[in-house]
Amino acid sequence: MTEPLGNFWTAVVNGEKKQLRIAQTTRLVDVLRTQLSLTGTKVSCEVGRCGACMVLMDGEPVNSCLVMAYQCVGSEITTIEGLHGEKEGELHPIQQAFVEEGGFQCGYCTPGMVISTKALLDRYPQPSQEQIETGLCGNLCRCTGYGGILRAVKKVIDEQDRMGST
Amino acid sequence: MLLNRESSGKRWHLRPDGVGKVTGKLQYLTDMTLPDMVHGRVLRSSYPYARILSIDITGAEAMEGVLAVLTSKDVPGLNLFGIATPDQPVFCEHVVRYVGDAIAAVAADSPERAAIALDAIRVEYEEWTPLDSPEAALAPGAPELHEHGPGNVLHRTEIKRGNVDEGFATCQHIVSETYYTPRQMHAYMETEGGLFVPDENGRLHVYAATQHGYKDRMQLARIIGCSEEDIRVVSSPIGGSFGGKDELNVQPYGALLALRSGRPVKMHNSRKESVRAGLKRHPMKIEMQTGISREGMIQAHRVRITADTGAYATLGAPVLNFCTEHCLGPYSIPHVDVEGVSVYTNNGVSGEFRGFGGNQAIFAMEGQMDRLAEIMDMDPWEFRRRNMRGKTDPGPLNQRILVTDGLSQVWEAMDRSELWQKHQHPPANPASPPWIKRGVGAAIAMHGAGLGYGIPDPAGGRLSLNAEGKIEVAFSYEEFGQGLIATLEMMLCDLFYCSTSDLSIVIGDTDRVPHSGSSTASRSTTMAWMALQRLQTPFRSKMLSVASALSGIPSDELVTGPGGIWLRGKSTESKAEKIAMSPVITEVVGERTSGSSESFNDTSDTVDNAALISGLVVSYVDLAKQGKSEEWIFDTQFEYPTTPDNVVGGHYLYTYAAVAAEVEVNTLTGEAKLLDTRHVVAAGPVINPMGFIGQIEGGSVMALGFTLTEDALMQDSRYMTTNLDTYLIPTIRDIHTNLEVEAIENLPEGDPFGPRGIGEIGSVALAPAITAAIHQATGVWVNRLPVPRDQLIKPLDVSLQKGVSST
Repeated sequence: MTEPLGNFWTAVVNGEKKQLRIAQTTRLVDVLRTQLSLTGTKVSCEVGRCGACMVLMDGEPVNSCLVMAYQCVGSEITTIEGLHGEKEGELHPIQQAFVEEGGFQCGYCTPGMVISTKALLDRYPQPSQEQIETGLCGNLCRCTGYGGILRAVKKVIDEQDRMGST
Repeated sequence: MLLNRESSGKRWHLRPDGVGKVTGKLQYLTDMTLPDMVHGRVLRSSYPYARILSIDITGAEAMEGVLAVLTSKDVPGLNLFGIATPDQPVFCEHVVRYVGDAIAAVAADSPERAAIALDAIRVEYEEWTPLDSPEAALAPGAPELHEHGPGNVLHRTEIKRGNVDEGFATCQHIVSETYYTPRQMHAYMETEGGLFVPDENGRLHVYAATQHGYKDRMQLARIIGCSEEDIRVVSSPIGGSFGGKDELNVQPYGALLALRSGRPVKMHNSRKESVRAGLKRHPMKIEMQTGISREGMIQAHRVRITADTGAYATLGAPVLNFCTEHCLGPYSIPHVDVEGVSVYTNNGVSGEFRGFGGNQAIFAMEGQMDRLAEIMDMDPWEFRRRNMRGKTDPGPLNQRILVTDGLSQVWEAMDRSELWQKHQHPPANPASPPWIKRGVGAAIAMHGAGLGYGIPDPAGGRLSLNAEGKIEVAFSYEEFGQGLIATLEMMLCDLFYCSTSDLSIVIGDTDRVPHSGSSTASRSTTMAWMALQRLQTPFRSKMLSVASALSGIPSDELVTGPGGIWLRGKSTESKAEKIAMSPVITEVVGERTSGSSESFNDTSDTVDNAALISGLVVSYVDLAKQGKSEEWIFDTQFEYPTTPDNVVGGHYLYTYAAVAAEVEVNTLTGEAKLLDTRHVVAAGPVINPMGFIGQIEGGSVMALGFTLTEDALMQDSRYMTTNLDTYLIPTIRDIHTNLEVEAIENLPEGDPFGPRGIGEIGSVALAPAITAAIHQATGVWVNRLPVPRDQLIKPLDVSLQKGVSST
């Protein structure tokens, strides 16, 4: 390999400050997958349609194939690897619900789907059906028919509801 | 039984690969890297059809960072691949036949350099006019795309019974229709790719997705000119396949580049390249003429199938066989005249795809049934019942098939369903404006499983107690999302009443698994179950006899259980109480659903054994230390069950399905929206309810795309839809949020074949149900998929229609 070109790129990835020397025109998805070995972020359509590469950038869901490194300098990036339950090593309630409801099959869309669900529920803790569909329609899944995914999302909402009401 | 989490009870089994998938920690083969790896890329053809005049790679070879540049001259063995008919060049030498054809490949130290090196390869072509349709390819004087001719016909099929002309002469009504189906794309989320690693011993390790690792290994050995043992193929986990990764795709290039450069080579197709080079579902034109008597009995059925198989054979012939078999539906028809032809063109390569030609056939045949019922002014479901094959009638090819009640069971279950009952009184939403119309439609299907008569369909498996004291099962099947690992886990727990932590499940690695055939044709679950049926008795006997020798307890007082071999308890307690004794058993066994096959459910004495557990005698870990390790290995080999009759491609085992759909059509925009769906599936006992639901729901939504939006459009043999922004698969917004799955679990008493696979059955019958519903809503008979919106748009009023008329 030749030496990477470009200036220092800095961002907080999954809570850790990262500094890399890369071309600023590198896509965020490549920074994550190639430079940082965070392969939980998947790559599929590379035109921002499928959502497999979805990450949170300062809390907002973005297709990391459409974000250039220079656009997220100084940002806080959360990938699927940065999601966990109350303690590190535990599943986040969204992840737990996906496992329990069978909200995945091949699993390749799942990290992006979980990230989009996180963004959806951060914004609307009790989303309507319409808000769920809007929040997740940027993530394609070819395996599940979305049934298990919807049941997983609803399970998280119900759990939150239950916790909130007790 | 309506299948859902609640009705599944304790059989709702969490997938062992779930945590890795939801955390992103599971490494797919395209996620793998090695520190010294290089990047491979393939140069593909600039034209769909052309003669190659020259290829100049000198510029690319001279570039810094380029480790290898390969063309056809660099293929040591056979410069061809293809699962059944190897006619696709690894690298084209003289002629290119489609836009995905490979001409050269490079390996470079960065993806960017690999791309630049590709650009530096100079190819001169003489461009020819592509044969962009079967009609063009069959026209007199059309150039022959392959030397093996005659003409551009890959394969022909034929079923002739009775005398179809005489049959039609007796008919009261005849319906003639021509059906067209799209070039559907698998659109697996993980595109093709992997890592190719040569080791210091001269072996090549291939980490790339396939549905049949051994077949890949055989083909790669043939291309490289080495022995199969020189190659190890690791092929799971896979980010979706649906039939699309069964053929070699990047493997020949990765393998040859790795051997030439001596470095690990990473390949990963972009989506655009995946579209350009990858397989699609065969677009078909199906002409059907079906005649019925005054009483509404089908007398004669004439079918002409034309399939666009694209530039290379792959499984075009078996797909046409399957379509031919299934275009008679599950009906008794005395006079039959079917001819099919699969035609080479310069379009994208068509191959294996979930449903395997059944989808196209069933769409057409069920469309005929609805049209005929309407002519008879008869309920379409009743019309089907009258014409359905009897329980003991031969199969579509007049071959003997396994006798089951599946067909009438799915028919009756659908007949009773609330959704189908709505058909009697076409639903309307009073709150909707008048241009929103609703309808309900239904369709029925019998779908063959396994590869069929005359096609080698070997199966097998291995059961062992490994050195770590785990009950290890090994198959050459692959996990591409369907939940195979979870299903195997459940089968083993059912058999041995062990806990999941006692298990080691090995798949997807030719170095570690026996040859047990491919993961295709909805066969893996059945084959794994049959293998375990054969292996369980000798394996259990061995464990019990060794445990008996160690403990001095007679082996008939011992049983397998969680952690090891247990002492049988007293047999006076009721079975329910006994099962409740062990939480693991309760978790695994759960409550068996009513109606399950006796043979599956209760014949093995493990149920009683399990019920009698009272104390651990020896652990599996201690057992494994006894004797030589090979003494603990049990293998089996057998064939997928086929009809005894000499009918090539004819199936013996079928699954049955009925599907109903409620659809809303906006007659201003032509948009059809699926509102409600019910799938009734008769496939024997449900081993893994979560997997079963997932496969039916996923298949259903894939079929929704087939019906309403998906078509990889080509113009002049070039793709117009090159990515997921223009090729539209359903999103969460487009699906039918109400989707019910009803499983009929009965099998004949003593059935030796166990649970049937359901990988395809959810995808085959939705299209005709939707188009029937559209007809009820709008009066339009749709004969083309995806449903053309313009056909569903109604003019606002007659004066407007007149206003645009030239008269």
